[in-house]
Amino acid sequence: MMLRTLAMAALAFLVAGSAARAADPRYPNWPCAQAKVPDISLAAVWAGPPLDDAENKWKDDSKVSALVSKLAARKTPLDEAEKSVKEFLAGSADKIANAKLLFAGLFDTLNAQRAQVMSGLERISHKQREAADRIREDTVQLQTLQDATPRDDGKVDAMSNQLIWETRIFEDRRKVVRFVCEVPTTIDQRLFALGRVIQQEME
Amino acid sequence: MLRAGLLSALMLAAAPAHAFIAYVSNEKSNTVSVIDTDSWTVTKTIKVGQRPRGIEFTRDGKFVMVAVGDDDTIQMIDAKTQGIVDTLPSGPDPELFTQDAAGKTLYVANENDNTVTVIDLEKRARLGDIQVGVEPEGMTISPDGKTLINTSETTNMAHFIDTGSRQLVANVLVDARPRFAEFKHDASELWVSSEIGGTVSIIDPQKHVVIGKVTFEIPGLRKEAIQPVGIGMTKDDKTAFIALGPANRIAVVDTATRKVTKYLLVGQRVWHMAFTPDEKYLLTTNGVSNDVSVIDVAAQKVIKTIQVGELPWGITIAP
Repeated sequence: MMLRTLAMAALAFLVAGSAARAADPRYPNWPCAQAKVPDISLAAVWAGPPLDDAENKWKDDSKVSALVSKLAARKTPLDEAEKSVKEFLAGSADKIANAKLLFAGLFDTLNAQRAQVMSGLERISHKQREAADRIREDTVQLQTLQDATPRDDGKVDAMSNQLIWETRIFEDRRKVVRFVCEVPTTIDQRLFALGRVIQQEME
Repeated sequence: MLRAGLLSALMLAAAPAHAFIAYVSNEKSNTVSVIDTDSWTVTKTIKVGQRPRGIEFTRDGKFVMVAVGDDDTIQMIDAKTQGIVDTLPSGPDPELFTQDAAGKTLYVANENDNTVTVIDLEKRARLGDIQVGVEPEGMTISPDGKTLINTSETTNMAHFIDTGSRQLVANVLVDARPRFAEFKHDASELWVSSEIGGTVSIIDPQKHVVIGKVTFEIPGLRKEAIQPVGIGMTKDDKTAFIALGPANRIAVVDTATRKVTKYLLVGQRVWHMAFTPDEKYLLTTNGVSNDVSVIDVAAQKVIKTIQVGELPWGITIAP
């Protein structure tokens, strides 16, 4: 009885989950409530001068590329990152050129970081779907085992344990997904905030 | 004597232009941030009800009204003590509201039951309801107080309501998802922003027809990313500022030519805005970057960013 309730609850959950997922038909594996925006367009975050060849050159500047990795890392607090931008630009001879290089680097790096997080989310979501199918099948099988005469209690126990385990993994992953869904926005915010400081410093 | 003169001259020079107080509703953190426009800092964060959006000072400057949609009410904050002192009887899920010039009557758009609730602000009592279009959103009142405008996001119309008879007198079709409506101060035009249509329709409020449209184009940005929402009009009606949502910009529009003269990068997902009473500054709420941008109106330049709560939505400044 207990088991059946559990299985039913798990099923109800799966159904609810897939309904929420079907929001945007273009991205069937996108698991987040937040709309999927595949990449950040430059114009949404930058109103400064054209970046021109800075888009290719920033990697050749060791100072810039080192700073980009530091600023792009989520473990660097945003206010500390903003301070580093100001210090770097204040101390540079060609402020405009360096500002463009730095922003080009951040734009590239953070967009790539974002794309990686999003494809990871879609991969997990795909796995979750497979897990959901398995739970559904195992639930049906458990019911068959429970209703069988004579009933094999050993098999019923084994199947119910398996089901509990599968449901637990499914649930844990779902929590992680919800948390990770916030990450693309956090990256957007970082890119915008740093871009804004760079543009202010250029004026 | 001379010294005293010099001193007072110095003091005059050092005195801040005028400090105003701005209140910002933070939709996700269920708070209101209080900003001092002299120091440009948040001086207090007030805990309010759930999902605060529409926010406005009473005309006498004594109270701030904030619509807390998920609590189905409007809360009143005492501007002196900065604490909640009362509630107003709105309908379910109030989002935006507007008051007449005298500050006596409040009209509230209730998103969930397709009505506008009329409230007597002196008695703080409900006077009645007006049936309007599906999902009422934008609300404004004509400068003479005779016509109430309500935009409906589902029917894509601006509804004109006679405040005397509380009857619908005209419907004007605009582009998809009208969100906000604003009259010119001389009442000659009504501007309505369409979030999905990506335009601002200019309506002749006498003839009830669209007489012009403001369109937007930002190189490198997809059309869907340009979503006009809040509108601010200078007192001389010469310049309009339009918030473009996820385009992260405010468009500056010359109202004579109805063309954009400049785009200002502010913050992420810019929603609404308010002028300081001296019209020196315009403050915008930026929903995703969780901050408020300060625009120098004369220079048409962003001069400051202030971090507030999560999902800042509405803003009002003490008269």
